[in-house]
Amino acid sequence: MSSLTDNSLERYLVENQARFYRLAYSYLKHPEDAMDAVQTAVCRAMERRSALRDPASCRSWFCRILVNVCLDELRRRGRTLPLSEWEEVGREDPPPADESLAQRIDQLPLAVGTVIKLRFYEELSLREIANVTGNNVSTVKSRLYAGLKKLKISMEGENIE
Amino acid sequence: MNSFKYFSEARKAYDSVPVPDALEGRVREGIRQGRAACALRRRRAVRSWVSAAACFTVLLAGLNLSPAVAHAAANVPILGGLFQVLTVASYDKSEDGIDYSVAVPAVEAEGDIAQAVNDAIQAKVDQHMAKARQDWQEYQDAFFTTGGTEEEWAGRTMDVTVDYEIKSQTNARLSFVVTMAEGWVASMEERYCYNLDLAENRAITLRDLLGEEWAEISTAAILRQIEESRDAEGFTYFFSPEEGGFTSVDENTAFYIREDGVPVAVFPRYAIAAGAAGCPEFPLA
Repeated sequence: MSSLTDNSLERYLVENQARFYRLAYSYLKHPEDAMDAVQTAVCRAMERRSALRDPASCRSWFCRILVNVCLDELRRRGRTLPLSEWEEVGREDPPPADESLAQRIDQLPLAVGTVIKLRFYEELSLREIANVTGNNVSTVKSRLYAGLKKLKISMEGENIE
Repeated sequence: MNSFKYFSEARKAYDSVPVPDALEGRVREGIRQGRAACALRRRRAVRSWVSAAACFTVLLAGLNLSPAVAHAAANVPILGGLFQVLTVASYDKSEDGIDYSVAVPAVEAEGDIAQAVNDAIQAKVDQHMAKARQDWQEYQDAFFTTGGTEEEWAGRTMDVTVDYEIKSQTNARLSFVVTMAEGWVASMEERYCYNLDLAENRAITLRDLLGEEWAEISTAAILRQIEESRDAEGFTYFFSPEEGGFTSVDENTAFYIREDGVPVAVFPRYAIAAGAAGCPEFPLA
C-alpha cells in the first residue's frame, strides 16, 4: 500500500497544477493539448497511486507520467521524431544565436531539452531527473552537458549537479 | 545557485506562460476519473472474492482493439534504457450495463521480440473480448428464453478488465504481467507473464535465473510453500497431487521477476488450488 494517502496525493496534484501545465505546455505548445495532457496524467497517477511507494519521490514519479503523456501526444500528432533528434547527438547545427535562450532550449533534441528543462526550470536534482527519464545519473549528466554545450553555455568550475 | 542565473530569463518566460482558468476543472476531473477506475478495480476484486461459490460467468465486449494501435506505437524514440512500456489502448467507461476498465500495454524496443510480444498480447486481448462477447450473448439469450423480462435485466452489470503491472525493470530487462478479467456474478481472471531481455532480444527463462537445476529448485520451493500453507488442522486450499494438484514445474510454468530479481511462479486460478486461493504465487528463492 502507498504510504501517501489519497488525499495528500490529490492535494499535491491540485496545488501544483500550474507547474504541470507549464511543463506540458513546453512540450506541446498548445493550451488545450497541455490541459489534456495534465488531465490524462492526473488520471493515470490516481489510478496507479499504489505504485508510488515513497512519497518523497512523488514529484519525479508524477513528472515521469506527465512527460510520457506529452511524448505520446507528440507521437500521436504524427510528428516523426528521428532517433537522432531524441538522442544526445542531436542536430549538428547549433540553434541560431539570435533567438532567445528559451527558444533555443525548445529546439534542443527532446532528450537533452527534457534534462535542461527539468534541471533549470523545475529544479529537479540529477537523481530525480534520472527517475523521470528512466536513465542512470551518468546519462542524465552527459545529456545535461551536451545541452549546455549546444546552448553555448559554459559553466566551468561551477557546481550544477 | 549562481549557475541558474544563465537560465533566469528563460525561466521567467517559462514561468509566465499563462495558465487557463479551465485547468483546475480538468485536474479535478482527472482525479475523479482516476478514482472511478480504481473503484471499478476494487469492486471487481471484492466480487471475485464473494463469488467463489457462484457458478456462472458472464462476459461481453464490443470493443474493437485494432492491432494497428499497437503498431502505431512502434518506431518511436525510447525514453531511457533499451525499451519503454506504453499503454496503447486505455479507457474506462460504462456502456449498456458493462463496466470496462482497459489498459493494454505494448513494449517499444528495437528487435523483434518486442513486436512478437505485442502481437501476442493483442491477440490475447482480441480473444478475450471475442469470448466475452459470445458468453454475454449466450447468457442474455438464456435469460430471456427462460422468461426473464427487460425489467429484470435492467440493473445487470458486468466488468471487462484488461490491465497490466510492471513487476521489475532494469536497463535491458523487463518483467510484466497482463491481467484479463471478466466477471459479473463470478469472475474469471487470466494472467500472462512476460519476461524479456531486450539487449539479447529474447525471453528470460527460469534456467537463466536459477541455473541448470532450475526445475528441481522451483519444484522444491513450491512444494515447501504448499506445506507451509497448512493451518493448525492440516487444511490447505491447495489440491493434493491425487486431486490434480501441483507436482512439478516445466517450461510452461508462468513466472514474473520481482524487483529484487527473485522469480515468482504464478498459477492460474483453480489450476492447483481452490478458487478461494486466487491465482497462487510462489517466490522461487
